Amino acid sequence: MDSGKTLCSLIKAIQFQECAVFCAMQEGLKLTVEEGKCVQASAYIPADNFNEYHVRDDVDVMFKISIAVLTECLNIFGSAEESSLKMYYRCEGSPLLLVLQPQSFSNVMTDCEISTQTAESVLELRDEDTEEVAKLVLKAPAFLSLLVDMEKTCDIIEINLSPEHPNVSIVTYGMQDRSCIDMPKSSDMVQSFNCEKSVTLKYQLQHIRLIMKALAVSSKVVLRCSSNGLLLLQLKLEKEDQRQMFSEFYIVPLLDD
Amino acid sequence: MKCHIPGPNVKVLGRTIHALARFGDELYLESSPDAILLRTLNAAESAYAMIKFNKVFFSYFNYNFYSTDDKEGLKCKISMKSALNAFKSPTHMDKQVENLEIKLDPESCKLIFIVKCKHGIVKTHFVSILDCKAMQAVYSKDLVHSRITCSQKIFTEALGNFQSSDDQVTIEANSNSFIIRNYIDCNIDLTKVIRTQINIKPTEFDSYVIGTETIITFTLKEFKALLGFAEALSLPLQLQFEITGKPVVFIVHNGTTFEAHFVLATSKPDTNTQASSTQNSSAVKRKRKEVHIKSNSPIKKKLHLDVDLSKYLDEDSHLFNYIDIPIEKDLNNIDELVHNKTTGSQSILHDNMECDNIIPASPTSKIKIKAIFKRCFESTFDPRSIQGLVLAENSDSE
Repeated sequence: MDSGKTLCSLIKAIQFQECAVFCAMQEGLKLTVEEGKCVQASAYIPADNFNEYHVRDDVDVMFKISIAVLTECLNIFGSAEESSLKMYYRCEGSPLLLVLQPQSFSNVMTDCEISTQTAESVLELRDEDTEEVAKLVLKAPAFLSLLVDMEKTCDIIEINLSPEHPNVSIVTYGMQDRSCIDMPKSSDMVQSFNCEKSVTLKYQLQHIRLIMKALAVSSKVVLRCSSNGLLLLQLKLEKEDQRQMFSEFYIVPLLDD
Repeated sequence: MKCHIPGPNVKVLGRTIHALARFGDELYLESSPDAILLRTLNAAESAYAMIKFNKVFFSYFNYNFYSTDDKEGLKCKISMKSALNAFKSPTHMDKQVENLEIKLDPESCKLIFIVKCKHGIVKTHFVSILDCKAMQAVYSKDLVHSRITCSQKIFTEALGNFQSSDDQVTIEANSNSFIIRNYIDCNIDLTKVIRTQINIKPTEFDSYVIGTETIITFTLKEFKALLGFAEALSLPLQLQFEITGKPVVFIVHNGTTFEAHFVLATSKPDTNTQASSTQNSSAVKRKRKEVHIKSNSPIKKKLHLDVDLSKYLDEDSHLFNYIDIPIEKDLNNIDELVHNKTTGSQSILHDNMECDNIIPASPTSKIKIKAIFKRCFESTFDPRSIQGLVLAENSDSE
């Protein structure tokens, strides 16, 4: 890979747990973190982001790695420096090898070895049987500014989606006050809106706030609500060379008492 | 009450709320036929701020939208936190907000802020009303003799030199000099504090009129907040003050649309320490000696304090009177507290000084605790020696 910078910022965006499950597939790399079985975040780097990409297809390449160490190694020449990156991994139990070479100096090279752990299984939150009830495509910067303006002390966020006006309404409940954000589908920040019948879903605001770091580096966000209330947010990060990286967040809803 | 505020003015209102938030925790709203008044009071009741938005500030204004019969406007108190929530980021608010509507919902007793933003987004904040009374401070302006008008820049630059630990400033003003310095509590060790003093030439001000020479001391936190407000709106600042003990009033206004008054209570500085603080050339040794002498004669000092504080009580400003319930919880209480504290710390100091002369014996363990298990330490234990009542009888024999 020519530059590890975007990769680093994407991995940092899901850094709310110490360790991530690193999974290399034929299609690309995927790093997954989980927060208390309620939130699952993944960073997905399709194989076409790499100049060269080889993964053995007969075994599962999967291990656990510390995100802090990984981001630190990727950033070893400082955030201003673009550096080319090579990653190697031999087999289960062996360390992940990173070779970084800064672009502005020709004779400098770093060789990092990060020890790995055996991966535990990853939660399968997606249920193939449930149907998708709503899909919403928003501009990430605008959605981020909405989240930033929300009161941090609120616990619960309620998302109402309906085919009638106002199509999207987000309600937060504070100590004594209630705030409501209405967004019609004609709004500039809504790029597409699909909703057959109205749904009301409640989530922990704290969980939703976890996506803010990822929103800051992304350009577009897709919200998908399934009939069991599970919220899937897919964020697209567009690089200068037209290639894309993604992050995904599964958020489990709050159930009514 | 119902009013609409156009986009550019929303930023002004946002700035106002943020400035008021640095004063008090509660916001009082009051509407009259031609204006809306926002007021706040800090917890110690030593600082008060009032901002009046005239009718022209709004694009639509109706002071009693719902009430048809009584000619009374809105009077309510809301929490500052919820007000801030509606104005999260005032810096780029004007870019996003197109229109703001404030109205009172008489049924649910909520104040509703409807913010219409770009991209067709509408944010609605339902704010609970905590109370339905108004508050007003009693202070005089326009009648006072000392007035200074200047841009806030002079003060902002001057305050930049102060330490972040300073919490009060003293202004010494007479007709040909203006000195601003940090206030030093007389109980603080003078060797450990940094004293800052800035002399501003009266010609630097836009206008400078001093009626009577005076020295006033007031809090820095609120002063900085109001300077920030004036800076954000780039408007000049007018100071009006009388003598020590009477409040100082800062006025920021832009002619017709709004007028802001910030009132700070002033207190009398301890003249002794302040005078000595101006002689900053004196050696550290000498200062130590000074402290030494002071703490060695606590009785004399106490007397002096008593006199001083009784003066405080007379001179400190009686700023605030509530309209509904007259609460005379004034600065008197605080002064009494201060009094107790100062005399208390004096005696502690005195004790410490005595300790220096006599080396105290190391503390011995308390005998009380030993006595609990006294019997354990006796040479033999004879159960027969316990006589009298059996507290817990033997359990049944098997």
